[in-house]
Amino acid sequence: MKFEELSLIELVKLLQEQKVSSVEVTKYFIERIKEKQNLNAVLEVYDDAIEQAEKADEKIKNGFKGKLAGVPVIIKDNILFKGKKASCSSKFLENYVAQYNSTVVEKMLNEGAVIIGRANMDEFAMGSSTENSAFGPTLNALDPTRVPGGSSGGSACAVAAGLCPVSLGTDTGGSIRQPASYNGIVGIKPTYGRVSRYGVVAFASSIEQVGPLTKNVKDNAYMLGVLSGGSEHDETSLKIEVPDFLSQIKGDIKGIKVGVLKEVEEMVKGLDVEKTYHSVIDFLKANGAEIVYSSIPDFALTLPCYYIIAPAEATSNLGRFDGVKYSRRSPKATNVDEIYLKSRSEGFGKEVKRRIMLGNFVLSSGYFDAYYNKAKKLQQKLKIEAGKVFSKCDVIVLPTTTGVAFKLGAKSNDPIAMYKEDLFTILANILGAPALSLPCGKNEEGLPYGIQIIANSLNEGMAYNVADYIEKGYRG
Amino acid sequence: MEKTKVTIEEVKRLAGLSSLEFSEEELKSFIPEFENMLELVDQVKNCDVSDVEVKYTSHKLAQLREDCAKDSLPQEEILLNSPKTKKGSFCVPKMLD
Repeated sequence: MKFEELSLIELVKLLQEQKVSSVEVTKYFIERIKEKQNLNAVLEVYDDAIEQAEKADEKIKNGFKGKLAGVPVIIKDNILFKGKKASCSSKFLENYVAQYNSTVVEKMLNEGAVIIGRANMDEFAMGSSTENSAFGPTLNALDPTRVPGGSSGGSACAVAAGLCPVSLGTDTGGSIRQPASYNGIVGIKPTYGRVSRYGVVAFASSIEQVGPLTKNVKDNAYMLGVLSGGSEHDETSLKIEVPDFLSQIKGDIKGIKVGVLKEVEEMVKGLDVEKTYHSVIDFLKANGAEIVYSSIPDFALTLPCYYIIAPAEATSNLGRFDGVKYSRRSPKATNVDEIYLKSRSEGFGKEVKRRIMLGNFVLSSGYFDAYYNKAKKLQQKLKIEAGKVFSKCDVIVLPTTTGVAFKLGAKSNDPIAMYKEDLFTILANILGAPALSLPCGKNEEGLPYGIQIIANSLNEGMAYNVADYIEKGYRG
Repeated sequence: MEKTKVTIEEVKRLAGLSSLEFSEEELKSFIPEFENMLELVDQVKNCDVSDVEVKYTSHKLAQLREDCAKDSLPQEEILLNSPKTKKGSFCVPKMLD
């Protein structure tokens, strides 16, 4: 049986009915990871993966009905799994071993998941192409001459290439949705706080979230149900009841109000994605959705707002990597100051250093009010503007990216061009709202475009419903 | 809007704040890069936010847990990731003579 052709939900059913064993499925995917090693999507297959699968099979035989019983999962390299390395694809944390489980890992294990390995990423999640990994770039699953997007490029490539049925990524400015788009799969950044960040190495704490990457929308809704829920260790996680996201997929969009932003209409002009974007809106309209023309006047400022808030928080979060407590210490250091200086200088890659420097700039005396304070106020203003849109609309539809995956190396020497990759995705992080990307249509080379559905906070179900409808009916 | 200029002294000051060391060449290469980045982020400067109150709290639904002592991770496990430890402590070179 070709397990990579099954959906997550189909695989769960086969495992629960004991028609296949977890060991069989796990071995199959590990074999595929080996076959597709050239993609460099997976940094490590855990040596106890088969052992985990054997235990899962034993539990299933004894009547265990966990939602992920026996299912192989790959996690991004910044998510802690006790006893396993979590390097954030950085030389600095190359040998860091997690001493506790992140909440998301704990939740997956409770449901019987077999966590088989960790996926490559841009170092400390800073990047949009996975070319910033200290362990070499990941390739696009559909075209190995192109980037898989980032920073969750390894996680997205792994699902798209059929190396696992589901993976986890993190999204600070588009790091789940953009790689999902580039690899032709589905990814969601949930509402801020929906999923606990406990045990996930922090980059920009106030805007980032963990989320699932899957082959289709229903699998994604199923998986988010497993990951959601608060943690007592994470004050920013929401201790509220988790809805059944799957049951919110109704198969109907009649009367749903779809927001189309004036600013986006302007921005897409001349972009590769323009035609697809308009045809998706037309499709929704033709199938009974009501199109509501709206505006977020400061939309264009989301990018600069993000590139102030994110580096500022990153600078603070990465302060803990001092060569004393974690993993790496420079052998050249002879005193304490040199431990800090040399360990950091040798351990961090270029993009990480660039963002630390920028963060210190916007936070430093004389600039704090002009940049950081202003950006935080702007964030608030954007929330007010978006609130007005959501008072009239159920979802906002916009592109995920400006076009299809770009060639490896095409933007690696131009940080600003790379930052503009996040043009359409940052809004949801700034708002804390849930946003999903799904593949919609292809270009003449067969590479997928991604369309994004943003819903109001805590309304992931609405985004899933609209996305599922597009997935089933839209033919670009 | 006039482009914000960055000096080598400014770059050196930031490197110091960041606990990062760079070669002279790398420091110089930061100047145009920084000026380009500032051109991007400077866009927020012109935005009128006078009527907006800044909010630093992350979520209105966030809750605090009960303030009671609980077991934390064992000391020996925490120290496992440190490059050098001694008698249950992080170890660094001598700081005082």
